[in-house]
Amino acid sequence: MARLRVIFESGEPERVIEFSPSQAPFQHDGRPGSILDVLLGHGVPLEHACGGNCACTTCHVIVKQGFDKLSEAEEREEDMLDRAPGLTPTSRLGCQAVIEDDDAEIVIVVPRYTINQQVADSRS
Amino acid sequence: MERITYTATIERIVEHDVDTRSLFLRLPAKTAFTFTPGQFISVAIPLPNENRVRPYTIASSPGDDGPLEIVLDLVPGGAGSEYLFARTVGDRLNFTGPFGLFTLERPPDIETIFAAEATAIAPIRPMLHRALAQPSTVPLKLFHAARTRKELLYADEFQATARRYANFSYEPILAQPPAGWSGRSGTVMEHIRALFVDGDARRDRAFYLCGVGNGVIELRDLLRKAGYPRRAVQYERW
Ligand SMILES: Cc1cc2nc3c(=O)[nH]c(=O)nc-3n(C[C@H](O)[C@H](O)[C@H](O)COP(=O)(O)OP(=O)(O)OC[C@H]3O[C@@H](n4cnc5c(N)ncnc54)[C@H](O)[C@@H]3O)c2cc1C
Ligand code: FES
Repeated sequence: MARLRVIFESGEPERVIEFSPSQAPFQHDGRPGSILDVLLGHGVPLEHACGGNCACTTCHVIVKQGFDKLSEAEEREEDMLDRAPGLTPTSRLGCQAVIEDDDAEIVIVVPRYTINQQVADSRS
Repeated sequence: MERITYTATIERIVEHDVDTRSLFLRLPAKTAFTFTPGQFISVAIPLPNENRVRPYTIASSPGDDGPLEIVLDLVPGGAGSEYLFARTVGDRLNFTGPFGLFTLERPPDIETIFAAEATAIAPIRPMLHRALAQPSTVPLKLFHAARTRKELLYADEFQATARRYANFSYEPILAQPPAGWSGRSGTVMEHIRALFVDGDARRDRAFYLCGVGNGVIELRDLLRKAGYPRRAVQYERW
């Protein structure tokens, strides 16, 4: 079983998911077995405004542990990440980074803000 | 802090073809909604057992007074597009946005090539509008490829624009053109390669590419490998 621990910068309680990568996909959006797929398939929200198509960066996550257990980023993901605010050396797009290893121990942080979001204190 | 969810009413539906239509989305009066040419909205798709979101590009221009236009294809077996095709005038859609980094904010100062297939012309249309917003002599070229004439969306508009602006040219491409076709035939890849890769050694051009599937990625690779700077080749894959 692989383990994915999710820390939310927004302060929501952290979540731990145990899953078998070979059973992916867990739902429809993002690459099968991606961080987004695992989270949504286990009822943990992660924003994915472009439907998991590598076109928005709202699924940006920072990998704290297990970076080398993720699929390598393709040029498309690098092109998008280049423009993600709050980019770190271990940033990935949740919809593109696939957890391949059956005994992977991954820890990610979901940052508070990502690019191109219109966030407001209240509805307009 | 919460993302703003907009609720728009479908004011008008225009059929371009049996499986392609435009939805015109009217926001409530005084709603502040701005976007950059090329961006999309993330439309809520409420399905019986789950909620999905699907991105749809805004095909109209910022600053247009009218409703927002999205233009979409019916994808067989696709829950999102089937849901949207089942909507009628007066129905409401919820969306967030705008999102997306495939954008053109200001008129380009080097020759710029726009290339899209069929409905993926959506982001290019407002980009061109923005690119032509100031008088300029910088060449702007649009290559629009499709299987049929009907898929060459907004052809009349682009033709009229080409007549009006000396620096803009419109190059429709049909895969298998009917008799009497005066435009180009074949694929967008063939023409881009012949003109801008093999055609000369200049690499001072910018490209905006959009399409469904891997063709856009192949085009990106062709251009970047041919020596165009990475950032000069912008693209969005649907
Ligand atoms: C940034 C972005 C902007 C987009 N803007 C538009 C838009 O303005 N208009 C639009 O029609 N679609 C657009 N799309 C595609 C759209 O979001 C959905 O993928 C499409 O409507 C299919 O969703 P679905 O739920 O019906 O089918 P799904 O079950 O999700 O099917 C997805 C499959 O359909 C293919 N597909 C996606 N779009 C099309 C299409 N237009 N024609 C044929 N096959 C397609 C995909 O490659 C994929 O294989 C955009 C996608 C992205 C990433
Ligand atoms: S969901 Fe849009 S880039 Fe991952």
